[in-house]
Amino acid sequence: MNKKLACLLLAACMLVSLAACGSGASTTSAAPEASGDAGAATGEEITIGTISPNTGSLAAYGAAVTTAVDLAVEQINAAGGINGSQVKIVNADDQFDPTECLNAFNSLVSQGIGLILGSVTSGCTSAITDAANEEQVCLLTPSATADSITTADDYVFRACYADSFQGAIAAAYAKQSGYTEVGVVYCAADTYSKGLYDSFNAACEKYGVTVKAVESTASLDVQDYTNQFASMVKAGVQFVYAPYYYDVIGPYIVTQARAAGYKGIIMGADGYDTTPDYVVDGADLSVFNDVYYTNHYDPSDTSETVQAFVKAYEAKFGSTPNAISALAYDAVYMYKQAIETAGSVDPTAVRDALADTTAVYTGVTGTFSLDSTGTPAKGASIISFTSDGTKVTTKFVDVVKELPAA
Amino acid sequence: MKNRTAKGYIINTVVIAAVLIGFSVLKGSLGGSQTFKLILVPSLWQCCYLIILAASLNLVLGFLGQLSLGHCGFMAIGAYAAALISLACERAGVFADKSSPAFFLVLIGCILAAGILAALVGLLVGIPALRLKGDYLAIITLGFGMIIVNIINNLPFAGQEGLSMGSASASLYKNGLGFGTASKVTFVWVAIIVTLVCLVMMFMFIRSKYGRAIRAIREDEIAASASGINTSYYKIFTFTYSAFFAGVAGALYACANATLSTSSFAFTNGGILNSTFIVVMVVLGGMGSLTGSIISAIIMFILNYQIKNGLWVKSLTGFLGGMFAYPMLVYAIILIVVIMFRPMGIFGTYEFSLLNISRDIKNYRAKKALQKAGKKEADANE
Amino acid sequence: MSTFIQTLIVGLRLGSIYALVALGYTMVYGIIRLINFAHGDFLMVGGYTMIFTIPVTLALGLPAWSSVVFAILICAVVGVSTELVAYRPIRKRGTSMTALITAIAVSLLLENLAQAIPAIGPNPVVASQFFSTGGFSVSGVTMEWTTVYTIVISAVVMVVLYQFTQKTKLGRAMRCVSEDKEASILMGINVNNTIVLTFAIGSGLSAVAALMYLAQYPKVYTTMGALLGLKAFVAAVLGGIGVIPGAMLGGLIIGLVESFTTSYVSSSMADTFVFLILIVVLILKPAGILGKNVGEKV
Repeated sequence: MNKKLACLLLAACMLVSLAACGSGASTTSAAPEASGDAGAATGEEITIGTISPNTGSLAAYGAAVTTAVDLAVEQINAAGGINGSQVKIVNADDQFDPTECLNAFNSLVSQGIGLILGSVTSGCTSAITDAANEEQVCLLTPSATADSITTADDYVFRACYADSFQGAIAAAYAKQSGYTEVGVVYCAADTYSKGLYDSFNAACEKYGVTVKAVESTASLDVQDYTNQFASMVKAGVQFVYAPYYYDVIGPYIVTQARAAGYKGIIMGADGYDTTPDYVVDGADLSVFNDVYYTNHYDPSDTSETVQAFVKAYEAKFGSTPNAISALAYDAVYMYKQAIETAGSVDPTAVRDALADTTAVYTGVTGTFSLDSTGTPAKGASIISFTSDGTKVTTKFVDVVKELPAA
Repeated sequence: MKNRTAKGYIINTVVIAAVLIGFSVLKGSLGGSQTFKLILVPSLWQCCYLIILAASLNLVLGFLGQLSLGHCGFMAIGAYAAALISLACERAGVFADKSSPAFFLVLIGCILAAGILAALVGLLVGIPALRLKGDYLAIITLGFGMIIVNIINNLPFAGQEGLSMGSASASLYKNGLGFGTASKVTFVWVAIIVTLVCLVMMFMFIRSKYGRAIRAIREDEIAASASGINTSYYKIFTFTYSAFFAGVAGALYACANATLSTSSFAFTNGGILNSTFIVVMVVLGGMGSLTGSIISAIIMFILNYQIKNGLWVKSLTGFLGGMFAYPMLVYAIILIVVIMFRPMGIFGTYEFSLLNISRDIKNYRAKKALQKAGKKEADANE
Repeated sequence: MSTFIQTLIVGLRLGSIYALVALGYTMVYGIIRLINFAHGDFLMVGGYTMIFTIPVTLALGLPAWSSVVFAILICAVVGVSTELVAYRPIRKRGTSMTALITAIAVSLLLENLAQAIPAIGPNPVVASQFFSTGGFSVSGVTMEWTTVYTIVISAVVMVVLYQFTQKTKLGRAMRCVSEDKEASILMGINVNNTIVLTFAIGSGLSAVAALMYLAQYPKVYTTMGALLGLKAFVAAVLGGIGVIPGAMLGGLIIGLVESFTTSYVSSSMADTFVFLILIVVLILKPAGILGKNVGEKV
């Protein structure tokens, strides 16, 4: 009975001392200690922290964010920086895990950084919104689309539209194209997929479209979607909303859906971006016709802003930027504009600048203002895939700026 | 012996009290600093539930000798149970905000309920699963871990929409159990006390007849059963007991995070809540030594933290840098190295004890002297 | 009716892959009584090898699927090295628990090493088409040729393996080693070489399984082996671990259960049902459907 107590108190000792050591080591070697306030501007440098999923299953998005941010910062610094100060980026990896995201956030804030750009996914971002509000640190997420991430009077803003908008556009598109009965196939285990299903469902009710068949999959690792689409065929719907990511659309969903006999429209959301890179070479790719999705921007858009960005990105990194890159790029410029308006890097001042609903931001993903909760009121592009059988390309269909009334 | 026991109690109580007082003093002086708030306290919370997880898995893996890969499933149950009960209490008006005394009662109640619920599920899982041994048990528990996560996903009030979408997570934070940065500092003593209590219970278990029985079962199940030990009873009891602690650890996890997402508990998660990571912790510390599990949990946590956020890691380039970008790779290598060269782990079956420290040091010195003498003799004989 | 046929066909498609993977699993387990958690990851290695060697075969004028030859070689090498480096030392010095933990560690190592190597990287890669598409129709639903190939190949492999273990000298040596290692040594069988051969064959089989998997689900990613290996193990246990026809039977059953659960019960609870079936079978008949209950010697 006695030995165990001894062990415990030793454990307690170790706990306290080792944790203190561990954290001390990492902070003394970090940037200048800031006690209390979280401003990190000296006359020479402005530091912005970024959080992105550099490892884990969404590493592609992490790379998209870090490359676009680097490009934007390079351009800004070359043009003289913000208010004369050069911009520095400190990146932290959230590994697509909410706990690690919180750790990354805490580590950045403890280094005295008051302006943070991140994270990429809704699940991770919602883990740090409350911490951002409590620590009074600005949080600008380029691509987290879950509705409730931004609320009024808070420190959280975003550069993209919310899920309720995306799901509703799909429902409006269905109505507009004349479909009164639709089906849905979604992933029950994924925040993004489920959120889009919910908003699509709600919008369908509003527009008077019947959701006749709903099927789901247990995880993002499922390979076979044939049974789900077979039940869509059985229900007789000609429009299916399937909000998944690019890594299952290309190789699995579209081919299996067609093979199951489903010949109607398949519509998705911004997760479909970069699908043409993930299709089966040598297969009959004409199955990709009649596939639509909503996205934040279209790289083939001929406007000057978009083309300048696309060309600069391709010159520096050798590949076409995807929507996440475009959003991250815009987010950096949003910070630039807010810092210039506020005249300082104090997070509260920047926050007030961002909360100003009259400020207009012009970016690659459109010209927009933020609404009272911090979400941009911007349009979404509807893009479709076309294929001649051997290659899949994207075709711009429409831009939807506002949702139609019921 | 009675004197010795009393002496042991006194020494231990005094030292624990001293440590807790020392910690409060530390907290008082450092309390306002950013480092303390943002780094030390969240780290302390994470260490607490990791320690409980590692020690409780050691009960099954080290002392009972059965590999159970579903530990994170029980943690998930505990976390969701605690979070949902606290939200329900808040909505029913039992407490208004975190500073009211009613909240403290709800907190304790949630932690207990989380443990009990996880224990119940552990019982249900253990009864069929523990009829099997070795490899089959590992797969079955792995399967159960996956099933539990799958079921939570499909529950309408939990799952993806319940507790990880923004609005629900905001409620968890503001209204329910989730602690923000400031609350974490105020309530950190709860985490420490809960961890200490859990460790006391585990040590008592090991020192009692239950501990002796399961060690006998580990060595030779048939001989144990022939000696009159009811092996099924002890195996299932240990499994349930360890699931209880996993549930408590889950409740602490729910406190420390404002959102809960089932992807954190899934087997394919690359982060530190992976069941495999916990197995690494237990093996590294020593299967059969609770002290070892505690120490290795802390070491692994610090290692994980340094890999993620340490600045020296960011300056590594090339393949080494790429390797550290995948912490799981580092842990897999550690596991293989430990298993091959020191399968007993760092501590083997040694348990640290303040009371016996002088005796242990004397024994160690005697052993080393004996080895040296033996070597000298062997050299002289050649 | 057509839903039933569609579900049946999907079930056969999934089940045939599980059967092929389970055959390799059951071979290795039957001989050394160790669950090779890394078996699924050997499949991943085979998959990536094929992705990289397809340009080579195309340049030589051979069809894309002949890259499976390279995959078999590489997988066999990886399998044998795992056995020599990781499993053999542990078998000598450790308990069965440490061997199991080592298997898990090797599996983790392979998965994460693949992610860390930049050429392979964390992003998935989509393979090109291996066999021609198309199939034959059964009451309005198409049964693809690739599914038929997979089932035929599984059956052929099963028959060949069975004959190998029953009739040839090496095969009989394998069965001896699985029954009683010490007695086999007394009979003059080189146990170490037999085990190495078993691993080589089992890993080579996983490369073939990788080919058929990619033919039907053409995406390769670093964690593809994890869940696949787990389900294949469930299939092997269901059919009777160590029993070769049992692996094929178990695989087909698991595939059908998964498919029918998705269609008729709930589309997101398929994995749950697979494991529940396993638990029920293990409680009622622990040796599996075709297995024989061998008593334990005290």
